[in-house]
Amino acid sequence: MAAGVLTGVRQVLRGPRLVSAVFSCHGQTFSSAAAAPDTGETKILNFPLTQPDYFRLSELFTLKDLFEARVHLGHKKGCRHRLMEPYLFGSRLDTDIIDLEQTAEHLQRALNFTAHVAYRGGIILFVSRRRQFGHLIETTARECGEYAHTRYWKGGLLTNASIQYSPGVRLPDLILFFSTLNNVFQQHVGIRDAAKMNIPTVGIVDSNCNPSLITYPVPGNDDTPVAMEMYCRLFKMTINRAKDKRRQMELLKGISASV
Amino acid sequence: MASLCKVMYNVSSRSSLLPKHCVFTTLRSCSSDASGGDGKSAERVKSGFAAAYEQHSGLRQSGDQSSGDETSFASLLRRSALSQMGPAKDKIIVGKIFHIVNDDLYVDFGGKFHCVCKRPPADGQKYQRGSRVRLRLEEVEMTSRFLGATVDTTLLEADATLLGLIESKDSKTKE
Repeated sequence: MAAGVLTGVRQVLRGPRLVSAVFSCHGQTFSSAAAAPDTGETKILNFPLTQPDYFRLSELFTLKDLFEARVHLGHKKGCRHRLMEPYLFGSRLDTDIIDLEQTAEHLQRALNFTAHVAYRGGIILFVSRRRQFGHLIETTARECGEYAHTRYWKGGLLTNASIQYSPGVRLPDLILFFSTLNNVFQQHVGIRDAAKMNIPTVGIVDSNCNPSLITYPVPGNDDTPVAMEMYCRLFKMTINRAKDKRRQMELLKGISASV
Repeated sequence: MASLCKVMYNVSSRSSLLPKHCVFTTLRSCSSDASGGDGKSAERVKSGFAAAYEQHSGLRQSGDQSSGDETSFASLLRRSALSQMGPAKDKIIVGKIFHIVNDDLYVDFGGKFHCVCKRPPADGQKYQRGSRVRLRLEEVEMTSRFLGATVDTTLLEADATLLGLIESKDSKTKE
């Protein structure tokens, strides 16, 4: 069982490095697609990666905001998933309490990663199977110009995309899971499929979820409307901020090129 | 004893300087004025209650400064209403109706889940979206372990009985 926890941790650690490798490949293809290596273009793409918090996302939320949005409340002790134990602060009268200090760090990393993906023009897919928040997630996705899938997940959506859609279809570059369980309390098929297709995932994991296959898990409450509204607001602000920054950098490059 | 309690209440409620002055004058009934109490007391040697009062106010100030970071998660959790409430069984709480489906009222009381109550026959039409109601809480989350299962099955709802509406603003203004 300790081995199970260790592999979970190792996968999480491996995730970002794999992704950065993928991104450096992307950088290469971008520069080779343009006829000559364009130093302006590579500077726009590479400079944000050198800063720890380029988009200043730590000012978007505080621990107190997370607390007031009831993010620390977990399910009952009997519903707990074994692999969520490292993320729990403890359990009070049989209710699990999620450690918000760990959540804040994980959320910061997840938002930073989402911002970088959005900055580089990646496709982000919002997924959740909670019917209570389906509409909220769809409107959030529309407001930041990204995509959402809150309905029944067909089997080969990602793994069989070239046959179900068309041969050259572009798959999402990041999948955000606002709830990693489906309506029968099993893990959402999209998590396993995204891992198969090398698509990084960010997921809000509650105390009854399995965080192993998710690249950037964010331990937190996924059942309360206040908490979900807060996550939606945070991700929307991150993506909009990143896209605005990209447009700003492009404009600056255009100005400096013309000068 | 009553005067001691009054001083402790004043000390703990972080009131402004004025009440402390008043307490000083009521106890030192000899001849001191309300104003300039601090300057006068510095000249005289304090004894008895006055000395104890000074010592306790000093202790309280140092206690405030040395008390841990008020925004740490552990202190927020300890002071939260849900922790202070204790076991959920038979606690009277206030909730707000956020959704109505015919006769079912979905009430949110600040916990992880909401509870669903039937509209009572008396004053049925007064229960609208946004109304505050009194509830007797049974459980914060209805879960149970069924035979042959490895984890509990959860209903994703709390369990509470509706007691009645909170007094509306109209009745308050009459008082």
